[in-house]
Order: sequence, then C-alpha cells, then structure tokens
Amino acid sequence: MKEQRSTSKPDYVTDEERREFLKLGLKITGVMAGGTVLSLMPISDKEATAELVLKGYDNTKYKPHYCMVIRQNHCVDCEKCKEACVKTNHVPEYGFRTTILERAATDDEGEKFPVFMPVLCNHCLNPPCVRVCPTRATTKDPKTGIVLMHIEKCIGCKTCMAACPYNARYYNEEKKAIDKCNFCWDTRLSKGEKLTACAAACPAHVRVFGDLSDHGSEVWQLIHQPGKAVWVLRPETGARPCIFYMND
Amino acid sequence: MLRKGFLSALIGILAGFMFLAVSQVMAQDDEDYPQEPIIFTKPVKAVIFDHKYHIEQGLDCDSCHDDPFEMAAGTAEENEDFNMKALYQGKYCGTCHDGESAFASNTRCTLCHIGVKGYNRLMGKSEGGHEHH
Repeated sequence: MKEQRSTSKPDYVTDEERREFLKLGLKITGVMAGGTVLSLMPISDKEATAELVLKGYDNTKYKPHYCMVIRQNHCVDCEKCKEACVKTNHVPEYGFRTTILERAATDDEGEKFPVFMPVLCNHCLNPPCVRVCPTRATTKDPKTGIVLMHIEKCIGCKTCMAACPYNARYYNEEKKAIDKCNFCWDTRLSKGEKLTACAAACPAHVRVFGDLSDHGSEVWQLIHQPGKAVWVLRPETGARPCIFYMND
Repeated sequence: MLRKGFLSALIGILAGFMFLAVSQVMAQDDEDYPQEPIIFTKPVKAVIFDHKYHIEQGLDCDSCHDDPFEMAAGTAEENEDFNMKALYQGKYCGTCHDGESAFASNTRCTLCHIGVKGYNRLMGKSEGGHEHH
C-alpha cells in the first residue's frame, strides 16, 4: 500500500483531533481515501515533550489499556483469526466479530495484488455506541478500555449498530442481543490468557495485541518507531479508535 | 538417374516424418504441464501457483521437478515443513524466490497468497459465505 505523505496540514482534521493524537505521541502527516484513513507519524523527540506524550497516557485511565496493532501487509486472508473467533466466541454464520476486508491494488511493476484488511471493534476512547445506548447495555470498561456488552440489558434496538462507524456489531438471534468483539474478555483474558483468540491464531503475526499503557509493550513499540507511518480507520468521526494499522 | 530420384524422394519422405514426429513431441511438451493453476490449501488457505506463468519465465520441467517439487501434485503439502520458514531457508519456492533469482519469499505476500476470498472466487463460491451449511 502506498502512503501519501504530506507535511501540509490536512484541511479536514480538527485541531482537537490533532491534539488528541499528539497526546498519544503521534502527529498527523496525511489524509487518504477521502479522509477516512489518516496517516500518523510518531512525533520526533524534538517535537515530543515527554510531558505531552505521558499526559496522553495519563489521560487514558485504562491499565492495562488493551489495543491491537494490525501489520496489514502481512495479512494473507487465511482467516484462521476468523475461525478462532467463531469457535471461541460462538459466533453464528450470519454475523461476525471480526472479518477481513479486501481491495485491489497495483504495485510499482504494474502487477495486481489484493490488500487484506482485518477489521474488528476499535474499542474507541470515545465510543459512539456507548453514547447512544438507551439502556446502558454497552459500556467502556473503566479498567481495560474494552467496549463490553451486557446482554441482559440489551433490548435489541440496534441503535449502537447504526452509531458504530466500523460495522463492528451484529444482532445475535440466539442471544436476542447485540454481539461484538470484546477482545475475548469473557472467553480468554479474564481467564488469564494474554492474547485474544484471533491474535493467538494468526500465523503471520499480523494482529499484535497488548497494553498501550505499557511503553515496553510490543504494541507501543511498534507504533512509536521513528519515521514509521501508522494509521487508524475513519478518524473523522472523533471516536478515537484503538486499533492501529501499519505496514511491516 | 531414376534410382537417384527415388533415393532423394525417400529421404524427403523420411525427413518429413521426422519433422512431424519431432514437432509432435514438442507440442506435447508444451501441454505437458497442468494448464490450470495449482492451489495449495495447507498449511494456510490458499496459495496459487501457475505453471504457465513460470514456463513463460523460461523455466522448464527440470527447473523444479523432482527437486524441489515432486511431480505428483499435493506431495509438498503433505510435508510438515511446507511453510514460510522452509522457504526462507531456500526450500520449495524459496529455491528461486530468494530475492536474487525471483522476488524474495518474505515480500509481495499476496501475489501468491490469494486468501480464502481468492480461493472461494476460484471455486465459484459466493462472497462472504461460510463453508459449512
């Protein structure tokens, strides 16, 4: 995937949004695909006052702050992640908690090749689904930042489905409630497992799962490499997603 | 005189036969590889290999058979070590795909890895459909 890089300020990124990413130690370097994909760069030591970076992490009260980094160009759509998710979380055929999107691209030699993009709940810092739920059936866990479902409170109104910018929710006929990715909280993490089922099943280390509040973690290290482009999906919604994408 | 004419005619006919025979063998050689792409589904779904494309690159049967690949389709897939690690060590596709003879095995992943989606398209399955019904 070719990144467009530009040092000029993209017009349609709000100052507030820019500040929020600065707090995370990332600066906006370009906008792609009509503003739905944002290119981010770690701010250099010169630009990054430790205060700003640390403030960003202090501001997210979550510890561990679970997130995922997707090393997109390593994804070969083997869908072992999907299989593992379905098995672990009993996802029915008509729905998904995670899936792989595909688009066609052309390389420098004119050869066509597919780009595969794993998608799942972005466990946003400012989740639109949580804001719209009339019964507080979906919440952001104050400890881990995971966006959780409490199916006993869900009335199946699907307002959260409409509000989610990432199509990460579906109505589960058996549960009579909305179902979504919860980073395998009930099925794995709460039982002491360190990885989600999808991350554990990935043979190409595409899905890197970990704690963004820990600067020694692989996820933090990956997205803070100097000069490395990192992007998130649909940043313009202001949801502040916690699934980060990069190549290599 | 007559005898000489008969001899040259005989040589001509023989040469004709030989030409036919040789050209037939050559034609056979041309079509002696699978015309349809080979699709590997183990250890991941799915990897495409096209004989035609590789022949067009100037390779012949001996280039890859019986080493690094046996003739019988599906033999490599049965091996425990038929994976990327082995390729990086110069086995299987990695014999050529080492960054010198051909692009390195750890680059341009999706040129060969067509995924479940690519596999389903080739098999004529509907997009996004699950296999078990």
